[in-house]
Amino acid sequence: MSLESLLSVSIDFDTSHTVFPTITAVVLGILLVAILATRGRTILATVGSLPWWPAKIDHMRFFGTLVGTVLYFIAMPWVGDFYPNTGLGFYICSIPYLFAMSVLYLHQRDKRHLMIAGLNAVIAPSVVWYLLSELFNISLP
Amino acid sequence: MTGFFKTLATAAGFAAMVASPIIANAAELPSNVRLVIGSKSTGGDTYQNSAIVAEALSKKLDINVKVDAVGVSEAFKALDRDSRGTTLMMFHDGAYMGNLYGVRGYDNIFEKYNVGATVSINPGNAYLVAKDSPFRSMEDVFAAAAAGQRIRVAIQAGGVSEIGLSAMKNAAKIMYPGAEENIVAVNTGSQADKNQLLFDRQADVINGSVQANEQFTQLAQDDQKAMRFIWVTAREETIKQANPEGMGNTTSEELLGYTTPNVSVTIDGKKDFTFDKEFFFIFNKDMDPAIIETIDNALAEIYAEGKIQETQKNSFFIPNFLPSTEASAYLKDKSETIRKIISSISTK
Amino acid sequence: MDFLSILTPFFFTLVASGTVIGIIFGAIPGMTATMAVAVCLPLTYSLGLENGLALLLGLYVGGISGGLVPAILLNIPGTPSSIATTFDGYPMTQKGEGERALRIAVISSFIGGIISLAALYFFAPALADFAIKFSYVEKFLIIFFALTVMAALSSNMLVGIFSGVLGIFLSLIGAYDISRGGNGELRLVPEFLEYYLESGFSLLPVLIGIFGLATILIEAEDGMKDGKDLSSIKIGKGKRFDFSVFKGQFVNLIRSSGIGTFVGILPGVGGSAASILAYSQQKNFSKNPERFGKGEPSGIMASESANNGLTGGALVPLLSLGIPGDSTTAILIGAFTLQGIQVGPLFIGNNPVTWDAMIIAMLAANIVMLLVMIFAIRYIAKVVMIPKNILFPIILMMCVVGAYTINYGVMFDVWTLLIFGLFGYFAHKIGLEIAPFIIGFILGPSAEIYFVKSIESFGTLSIFFTKSWIAVLLWVLIGLSVWFSITIARKKKKDLVQNGQ
Repeated sequence: MSLESLLSVSIDFDTSHTVFPTITAVVLGILLVAILATRGRTILATVGSLPWWPAKIDHMRFFGTLVGTVLYFIAMPWVGDFYPNTGLGFYICSIPYLFAMSVLYLHQRDKRHLMIAGLNAVIAPSVVWYLLSELFNISLP
Repeated sequence: MTGFFKTLATAAGFAAMVASPIIANAAELPSNVRLVIGSKSTGGDTYQNSAIVAEALSKKLDINVKVDAVGVSEAFKALDRDSRGTTLMMFHDGAYMGNLYGVRGYDNIFEKYNVGATVSINPGNAYLVAKDSPFRSMEDVFAAAAAGQRIRVAIQAGGVSEIGLSAMKNAAKIMYPGAEENIVAVNTGSQADKNQLLFDRQADVINGSVQANEQFTQLAQDDQKAMRFIWVTAREETIKQANPEGMGNTTSEELLGYTTPNVSVTIDGKKDFTFDKEFFFIFNKDMDPAIIETIDNALAEIYAEGKIQETQKNSFFIPNFLPSTEASAYLKDKSETIRKIISSISTK
Repeated sequence: MDFLSILTPFFFTLVASGTVIGIIFGAIPGMTATMAVAVCLPLTYSLGLENGLALLLGLYVGGISGGLVPAILLNIPGTPSSIATTFDGYPMTQKGEGERALRIAVISSFIGGIISLAALYFFAPALADFAIKFSYVEKFLIIFFALTVMAALSSNMLVGIFSGVLGIFLSLIGAYDISRGGNGELRLVPEFLEYYLESGFSLLPVLIGIFGLATILIEAEDGMKDGKDLSSIKIGKGKRFDFSVFKGQFVNLIRSSGIGTFVGILPGVGGSAASILAYSQQKNFSKNPERFGKGEPSGIMASESANNGLTGGALVPLLSLGIPGDSTTAILIGAFTLQGIQVGPLFIGNNPVTWDAMIIAMLAANIVMLLVMIFAIRYIAKVVMIPKNILFPIILMMCVVGAYTINYGVMFDVWTLLIFGLFGYFAHKIGLEIAPFIIGFILGPSAEIYFVKSIESFGTLSIFFTKSWIAVLLWVLIGLSVWFSITIARKKKKDLVQNGQ
């Protein structure tokens, strides 16, 4: 077999969508094996010595961010559907979200800081909504 | 700072908006309409045609119509979700061709949606060869295919770009049975890719458009980039409606030299195949028919005024208004013709 | 029309306002130059061609430049093409040299913009003729060359390459895009996600998820302690800006601007590749490659001069072939057709007035960009002094806006942001390398199309070596790039061992 025939490949258009993903998957697999082979022991040792729940996580802030963000994402299109194509879903949901996040991240929850957080939560979405949705006519949720 | 006062004013208006969210009159279009289109590009012909119509409708109905270039699959999804008339769609013949070519994800729009008014035609769909190519006409191409030469045609699969190729194969089959096997697709993407295939001589014929390729036809023959039109798929009557200046250095008169009857790609041995890329509305099946009527009436008035035609013609589009019922029947017919061509050349 | 009669004060006002609006769009994470041009396109109809172009070109130059601000100050690339700016820009901010980094970046941007503009003006037709020598095969090799950069950017080569290939893999999820030449079939999509993953994950939400949301999650886990990095930084605490930093950088600036311009010229290769390529070349040729990634000014210069080099480059195929060089110029085509002007090989000859006006507009936009940004830097740099509890929620909101608007209103893009925010967070935990991952993700789809199409056309792998002298040259470059990466990695290991002793 000549080199040329060894290198020749034909790709059928109808199945061409699988060619590159297959190649990539194989390379990925080889690399994974290589990593495990060269550093598997170190990785295992590290994993083994880890506590099952990492310490020192600020649970409230971390999970608060996640839960808040998920709620925000769910609420936006839902609210937006009541006022179609106005961007109000974004506007109405961003205010409480911003306020909640600002307060969540705050360490000294005194009156002054809460005021600033509240003002910011109202002003920032207003400006963004006005500029993008009203002035530039960009679609928001 | 005036921006601040504007924001204040908006806030007041905002309170009013919140108070009355739901659309008052069913026959009226909602005050904020989103026109999604089947293209992701805001520089392309679908966007331009949609923007022209959206602006005219906005003015006529005193509402806000916003064009969003979300692309085919997202556009259909958005349309599926909304039967209130707040989301409308505009696209071209590609909307049903995907289904005819069996492309995954394309439903039969005549069943799943209501097909609405047509608004315009892009008459520019064309096929080109390199200027130094031995093929100087479609006849040469057919003859070469009949003589057993492999003709590679660069297209984008499953849509408007492919239909001309299907028609060529169909014509070859009628004139020289068996020759259709020698006309083969080179599946590629954008116009840039198609041009590049011609520059590399990796394709013998490419799909292109009068708008995008005309300047290449004006180059000297020894230029690697020089091209020649061999077929413009539009109907003769369509090109006749274009401004006489045509496009660039090619007048409408000259363009007629590349359409039927001067170039013949037969459909059944008697009639020539023609294809106009038409833009039309697609509506959610459950949307209030009164809204369709409102749009039809508004468009009828807009076209009666005659200003939109000028705008369209200036961008080399041909005005082509048909109210929804007529348009739907007409397009259904058109799709049947195309279905026949596709099934006649299908080897399966 | 007479050329001089076009250059009215109004013309320059439009250029300037376009540039400023563009900078603002670029500077907001998630908003891009493309978006700025898209939203202002309808305005140009009433402005007329030259004035309309003045505005749009200002937006283009401003938008590309604005991306450096969040890249340097917040570690979030404002636009995909400023990714490489984060590599050294953010470490400088952490060292208290944010303002200095911004100045270096702005001046490099300006130089890149001017060099590419000169290339555009003097060589556009010749460059376009050269660009069409690049077929699928050569374009694949360029992408492959850019991918070899992954090795140079990784701290552990094996893990880095793994991360990069993972990026490629994830970028292939969804339909094999018909509009790029695919067959429209889905792959790598579980059945229950088919509805959402039709078009896969969009680049921009992925990018701001990994850089924006993930960073905020990491900070949140840490308790959002004020007094750590950001707000503790006294502006100018570190070294102050001095022009001497540009000493000895002549070659770097020319090379990087050249890479930017050239990548811009090649349609379909993608602008993000430019700054990454320029960055890695600078690293490879540097005497102190180990300083890169830790706040090395020349890294910023390479990245920024390359991404502004794109601006002139991407206009070359637009104006001499009628083909856009990147997503922003694709929208510019709309501005021409809206006015009934054809772009193609005859454009420059047929429309000398418009052509000159465009060059002047670009020149003016670059100058305005330089002046505005240099003046504004002092204030912009103060962004890092905003308390985290105010700044981060705003960034989160802007990321949402950016994700939602990038494809003109697709809610799944917002969820992509969250998915890749979490991905970035866990990647950080388990030590995957983000830079190579992103490069893989960006270049994956182009690599696929060009690879598969090359073989479809030629039916043999040998074509990658035999197609043309350009292909051979590219292999030499690829070889050099790999060799440099290995040498650098070896040297690093040796240094580590020595330091350990």
